[in-house]
Amino acid sequence: MLTALGKYVVFIISVFKKSVNFKIFFKRIVEEIEQIGIDSIGIVSIVSVFMGAVLTLQVAINFVSPIIPRYLIGLTARDTFILEFSSTVVCLILAGKVGSNIASEIGTMRITEQIDALEIMGVNSASYLILPKIIAALLTFPLLSLLSTILGIVGGFLIALTTDVVTVYDYIHGLHFAFVPFYVTYSIIKMCVFSFIITSISAFFGYYTYGGALEVGKSSTKAVVYSIIFVLVFNLILTRLLLT
Amino acid sequence: MIEVRNIDKYFGEHHVLKDLSASFEASKINMIIGKSGSGKTVLLKSIIGLHTPENGEIFFDNREFIHAKLSFKREIRKEIGMVFQGGALFTSSNVEENVMFPLDLFSKMTKAEKLNRVNFCLERVNIKDANKLYPAELSGGMQKRVAIARAIALNPKYLFCDEPNSGLDPQTAILIDQLIKEITTEYGITTIINTHDMNSVMEIGDNINFIFEGRNIWQGNRQEIFNSDCEELNDFVFASELYKKIREKVR
Repeated sequence: MLTALGKYVVFIISVFKKSVNFKIFFKRIVEEIEQIGIDSIGIVSIVSVFMGAVLTLQVAINFVSPIIPRYLIGLTARDTFILEFSSTVVCLILAGKVGSNIASEIGTMRITEQIDALEIMGVNSASYLILPKIIAALLTFPLLSLLSTILGIVGGFLIALTTDVVTVYDYIHGLHFAFVPFYVTYSIIKMCVFSFIITSISAFFGYYTYGGALEVGKSSTKAVVYSIIFVLVFNLILTRLLLT
Repeated sequence: MIEVRNIDKYFGEHHVLKDLSASFEASKINMIIGKSGSGKTVLLKSIIGLHTPENGEIFFDNREFIHAKLSFKREIRKEIGMVFQGGALFTSSNVEENVMFPLDLFSKMTKAEKLNRVNFCLERVNIKDANKLYPAELSGGMQKRVAIARAIALNPKYLFCDEPNSGLDPQTAILIDQLIKEITTEYGITTIINTHDMNSVMEIGDNINFIFEGRNIWQGNRQEIFNSDCEELNDFVFASELYKKIREKVR
């Protein structure tokens, strides 16, 4: 365990060393923004709209007491999305999509000697391949989190609009009620930390893949499992540090 | 000239290269031959710095490589072209981008100059109208040729080839051999080829090193192979009836 941690630290240090000139590096970041961020918009949008709708329905069905104001349905949907869903749950989904993609891409490059080819050309392969992914994730994951929050709330709004479990007025009143702006900051901080965890852990497992296609698959699975575990652990730590 | 002096390489308990020394002549085709698992690829990768030997020294034209600073190693690596066994082309880039990659990194050419150089290198390896194709769309022989084009893009002083003929049909293998021979002669490159293809050795090998169980136990040219009394070399080279008959005729 300690050996793996040491290897990870050495790996991260090499990732942050200079690799290529800025022009090429910038081009790599743009490519990764497309692959990591833009290509994830679809899945994040679909999951967020449906979860927003389901969450609103479930809260409305369970808030049956006459002493609980109906506008709390909107408030609950909003805070659930900002505090937990759009950061943690979306990151768990991205750990599966982006994490496995990174590990298998870099793992395949390793076993087909593409990484060796980069090293022979005098390129710091860890930095050239992985730092743009980390930067792209740091830039796009918080935006995906904001998108998820907005679409989740829209999903709830559609339920208010099309059913009678809650009125549109109550739902919107709930969205405005007792809003704490720091919750958005907290969500963005979590997203930044999680984006680093997912990209660096997945890249680490991909970079140290040895063998063949089977090992690439194993690295990909390990990347997803460890990313999820560390996202959950850091979720607890950050919540304790930032909200209590 | 590249000189390897007394290198040892371990993988855990496994002692792969054992006090191995070899010299590779400038502007010649130097071959490393030996059975599978004898340490050929480890030797090649140690010379170019992908493995770090525990002991010994490696000199590129009298410049020590193993113990050099990383920045100096990177400078020497810019003088190296490498053709990997599987080609190692970047799968997400097309042929043109693959060959242009080292130029983007290390040359100060304009875009048009780089494109001219790419086209020149591709023509040199007899590849036409394939600039926009991706590696997955190329045959094995074409991938090897594109890999050679990428390796020579920066006019390297040293060319390393790891089993350049593996997986190729005999005709294509001969074409690749001839191409490597022409490029070596034309540009005065010091070429080192790691192979167990004896046809290739007999066709183009100028200086041959035979590796057996991690040691360089024989060095000579292709004519000397036929008169060698090294038992392990004879077992390896003349394993087939065809080569036994050729040896009898030559002798």
